[in-house]
Amino acid sequence: MIALVDCNSFYATCEQVFRPDLWGKPVVVLSNNDGCVIAANKEAKALSGIPMFEPFFKIKKLLIDNNVTFFSSNYTLYGEMSQRVMNILSSFSPEVEIYSIDEAFLDLSGMKHFSMNCYGHQIKDTIFQYTGLPVGVGIAPTKVLAKLANKISKKRVSENKGVFVIDSEEKRIEALQWADINTVWGIGSKHSKRLKDIGILNAYEFTQLPKEWVRKNMTVVGLRIWSELQGKPTIEFKTVPSPKKGIGTAKSFGKKIEDLGMIQEACSSYISEVSELLRNQKSCATYLQVFLHTNYFSNHDQQYSKSITVTLGIPTNNTFILISEAKKALNIIYKPGYRFKKVGVCLSGIIPSNYVQGNLFIPTPRWEKNELMHVFDKINRKYGKSTLFSGLVGTRAKEWELVKEDRSPRYTTQWKELLKLKTTKN
Amino acid sequence: MEIFSSGKLSKIKNKGASGLSKQSGFPSPATHYAEPSVDLHKELIANRDATFYVRIDGDELSNYNIWDKDVLLIDRSLAPKKNDLVLVVIDGEFKVIRFPRVFLETEFVLWGLISYIIHYAR
Repeated sequence: MIALVDCNSFYATCEQVFRPDLWGKPVVVLSNNDGCVIAANKEAKALSGIPMFEPFFKIKKLLIDNNVTFFSSNYTLYGEMSQRVMNILSSFSPEVEIYSIDEAFLDLSGMKHFSMNCYGHQIKDTIFQYTGLPVGVGIAPTKVLAKLANKISKKRVSENKGVFVIDSEEKRIEALQWADINTVWGIGSKHSKRLKDIGILNAYEFTQLPKEWVRKNMTVVGLRIWSELQGKPTIEFKTVPSPKKGIGTAKSFGKKIEDLGMIQEACSSYISEVSELLRNQKSCATYLQVFLHTNYFSNHDQQYSKSITVTLGIPTNNTFILISEAKKALNIIYKPGYRFKKVGVCLSGIIPSNYVQGNLFIPTPRWEKNELMHVFDKINRKYGKSTLFSGLVGTRAKEWELVKEDRSPRYTTQWKELLKLKTTKN
Repeated sequence: MEIFSSGKLSKIKNKGASGLSKQSGFPSPATHYAEPSVDLHKELIANRDATFYVRIDGDELSNYNIWDKDVLLIDRSLAPKKNDLVLVVIDGEFKVIRFPRVFLETEFVLWGLISYIIHYAR
């Protein structure tokens, strides 16, 4: 059996753990630079008319009028809380596949003598006791069914109490009949529309289609989902995360910026972040993409956006080489006279460092700099992020940096931001 | 006991291995008794994934020997016993109480057990 455990409204509940005054109240979390709502707890979702992914400034009044508490995103906190959840999960199964920041698959095939329902409740209760975070648990013979069971665990709460197990043929068929075809994990909107057109509305009807039809019309990917829904595991367990194929970052500036120097500093800083990630996973990038654009939502600004992709002579993960390439690229796409809102970088064509081939036309002494990067990372790991940084990132006030006005304290990672308890006479 | 020849010694010198003892005598008797130093984190935190920290602001909890600026270690994995200090939530607010306390009119939600109080002595 396989369990899928996922946290309910993860970002919002992370905030609520440390704010008992907000228990049972609507809470939303905004994206980086307070762009839009990216997470809402069930109380906030229950208030109809709070659109997700809508720019914050458009709905700020609505939120205030409805007494919704909003937070700027605090990824440091969410990441640390997620780590706790994953650690706890690994005490319940030797094989845990971390699927995202708030979900994981557990291989429970060794627990034949356990009641799966009890085990599910034990997982759920332990995570809640240790971290204060509510989770849903779905248990089934395959990943796709576990995902479905998880969905059901949350739908009929009074009956299932956050745990649902598909362990019989009747339950499987009932679950499949319950599931709308577009809610099945792995079936995209294009395919679900197509299936609906031919009268396939739920997952059960999908499993009744002939195998050959599915293979022909939905490729081998569709066929895998089809088999998984029948209860035959076909999707592998991935306990070691596959290295990322592309790494990028793009954040809106704290305010609109015209000055090329300032944009270059922001860009260099992003490059520093992503190249460190690249070195952590011991790989190098072949292509570097840089893009720049103005604020689409602004009516009174002239609009401009441009992107450029550079092929690197030799794939690299060296911060200094990447920064100098990005700077050249920016010089090409930058146009004066516009007020820019965002610059972004994306590294792709990622290959393991030890597969990097030399280039006949580029001398190799560049390699010596790798030792420098090694020391660079070691110092930053020991003394904290950005203790050492490239001079091109600049030392002046970072006007482009995130405004995190309503960010909660980093309760679990910063000694100076611990949860504060104001004492009162008992 | 192995006796080093002078030839071997000079070889070591040439390598510039400054960390190696150049004495050919008896090794330090402490070598086999070496242990890592006491690690407070290991000692005070039994369950890292269930432990949270709280900074105290104010002196109103002095009857529990909890003072301004103290740091409480809260271990949510431990079940409180009678008279343990616990962090609870009453009416949406954090409070420290002795467990259990009979509340006639208010109920509380247990947040976690206070396992240690860190107090700066100066």
